[in-house]
Amino acid sequence: MGKIEWAMWANEQALAAGLILFTGGIVGVAGLFRGWQFAAYAVAAGLFVCLLEYPRSRRAKGTGVERKWQYGLTVCVKAFGPLTRNYYARAFLHAALCIPAGFILATVLGCVCLGIASLIYLSVSQILLQYFYILFSPCRKLVETVTRKRLFHY
Amino acid sequence: MANWIINNGVTCVTLVVWMGINIFLFVWFYLVYDVGDEYFYTRHLLGSALAWARAPAAVLNFNCLLILLPVCRNLLSLIRGSLVCCSRSLRKQLDKNIEFHKLVAYTIALMTAVHVIAHLLNVEWYNNSRQGVYDDLSTALSNLADTKNTTYLNPIRITSLDPQQIPTYLVFTTIAGITGVIITLCLILIITSSMEVIRRSYFEVFWYTHHLFIIFFAGLVIHGAGRIVRSQKDSPPHNFTLCKDRSAEWGRIPQCPVPQFAGNFPQTWMWVIGPMILYLCERLLRLVRYLQTVRYRKIVMHPSKVLELQLVKNGFKMEVGQYVFLNCPAISQLEWHPFTMTSAPEEDFLSVHIRSAGDWTEKLISIMQQLPEGAQGPKMGVDGPFGTASEDVFDYEVAMLVGAGIGVTPFASILKSIWYKFKDSNPVLRTRKIYFYWLCRETNAFEWFADLLQDQEREMEERGIGDFLTYKLFLTGWDQSHANHAMVHFDEETDVITGLKQKTHYGRPNWNKEFEQVRKENPSAVVGTFLCGPAVLAKVLEKKCAEYSEVDPRKTKFYFNKENF
Repeated sequence: MGKIEWAMWANEQALAAGLILFTGGIVGVAGLFRGWQFAAYAVAAGLFVCLLEYPRSRRAKGTGVERKWQYGLTVCVKAFGPLTRNYYARAFLHAALCIPAGFILATVLGCVCLGIASLIYLSVSQILLQYFYILFSPCRKLVETVTRKRLFHY
Repeated sequence: MANWIINNGVTCVTLVVWMGINIFLFVWFYLVYDVGDEYFYTRHLLGSALAWARAPAAVLNFNCLLILLPVCRNLLSLIRGSLVCCSRSLRKQLDKNIEFHKLVAYTIALMTAVHVIAHLLNVEWYNNSRQGVYDDLSTALSNLADTKNTTYLNPIRITSLDPQQIPTYLVFTTIAGITGVIITLCLILIITSSMEVIRRSYFEVFWYTHHLFIIFFAGLVIHGAGRIVRSQKDSPPHNFTLCKDRSAEWGRIPQCPVPQFAGNFPQTWMWVIGPMILYLCERLLRLVRYLQTVRYRKIVMHPSKVLELQLVKNGFKMEVGQYVFLNCPAISQLEWHPFTMTSAPEEDFLSVHIRSAGDWTEKLISIMQQLPEGAQGPKMGVDGPFGTASEDVFDYEVAMLVGAGIGVTPFASILKSIWYKFKDSNPVLRTRKIYFYWLCRETNAFEWFADLLQDQEREMEERGIGDFLTYKLFLTGWDQSHANHAMVHFDEETDVITGLKQKTHYGRPNWNKEFEQVRKENPSAVVGTFLCGPAVLAKVLEKKCAEYSEVDPRKTKFYFNKENF
């Protein structure tokens, strides 16, 4: 299992968690549940996580497959530099985001899923892989990778 | 249009029936909870939300039953065998098992979402009723406690906790709640690791995470054991129309005794127990097959890191175009990988050609490379054979076989089988002429197939039937160096790339030319076209078959067969 890039799975899991957080939040707000403020937070957090995780990274080995329409988001996310590129940063970001969602039932599932994604990212960050961005130009002819630091550290 | 019906008709009917059952279950159980008298008081507390939770639950029961069946491959083989008398379209339906499995999985995910959302609402409204936020009737119903003389309706009994935390408390202290959270989590992990990207590139993540289904089914079966969905019992007789506005007097007036409630008997296990047992049998069968001895007849290392294994197993019977699962405990105890067989049924061994395409295959190849001459390889488990046989190929007088890229592998089996049948004048074989079109970007990793064609070409020359098989190789990934090389060696008898007598073509085939040639050489014949390759090519060939077929029986007719290997 040495060559598996767990980050790809962490990305899928985080995206799903974002959706679940968002949905749980909507239910909480729409039903005006007790503690609906937490649900409102979950709506915002879920949306943020979805936007952050939607651009799929290029793989370290092999060809990457981008998600549909991810170009615009890739540009935005890339702009935050090391904050979004580093796996440690992602792990801690997701861990921090998921905690407030644990306070009401409607969003607890989203909280746990995001927590799992955070753990997977944490285990990946041990290898200090950097997140490569797939940037397809609008003509889809070029694949541009943007890295400022060295690529791999083992 | 007729072609579409033949190829897709059975699929359509199956899907319509499946959808029909889903809709029926949803509507039926919705009405039970939305209209039934025994849930009148429940509806007072929850509105339609309980119905919205129970209806998808019924659909979930049905689909959890279905999801295990398409992966019971031996069961499918059994069904396929007993349907030999019936049309091949029915049997080919069984080849779409994984697609059906995925469809059912998506349905389970959708229904789980509806079920969970509805229950979130239920829990919140139960909590509110218990806190006395709603009207008197709600409060009275919620106050009914679980004592000697009374039975509860509202599963939330506690009031001493912070009201905001009570729903979470309920979920984590009831069987339904805990199992619900656990199995939903398992479902989410299974789904995220089954995405195409993960499945194709990191198969082990997909395979091992998928085994969370064991926890899923275990939790599913005990999910209803707490019986927290309550209905009103008939005794003592409590007429809700009369008594709903007189909740303060319940138990004190003869017409309105305190209403009694009881939980419903859990039913999920009745739905899923059958398939669970069937699947268990499948895994046991796999274990039994694993324990059977498999000997190596020959181990060959072909160029471009392609490993050929010829294995002998007692009592193993195969048909053309089928596949097996291989397990090598020296590499991984738990992984079984599928490979199409490249040997013909007439041979007394089974062979697979394994290309380096991931962790498992690379380790296998490196183990084989380090084996001394003539030694037996590591222990290998063989499960199978599975898949619909492609014996239709033998029914046509003239066959056009098109293999693209890796799709050429099953044709190795087919061509060998045709050759054996021809040599033995097997009456099953009606084929008199075969056109084989091999499309690939480069011949890397397929030199073994070129060798196979070379052997067959030689044997046919010896028998003087050189025109039984016509091959055309199309190199779609050619570049200037190829062209230069070909130009320089133009005059040589054998082809520079494959060593075959018939020359390699560069670029994609001109199907008009090919079909025209087949038609010219075989007037008034029925031609079967078989493809193993990308869907785009399937569309092209289907169109050409329709174009070049003549209604006149004296002219050539083309039939396109969609094969999935």
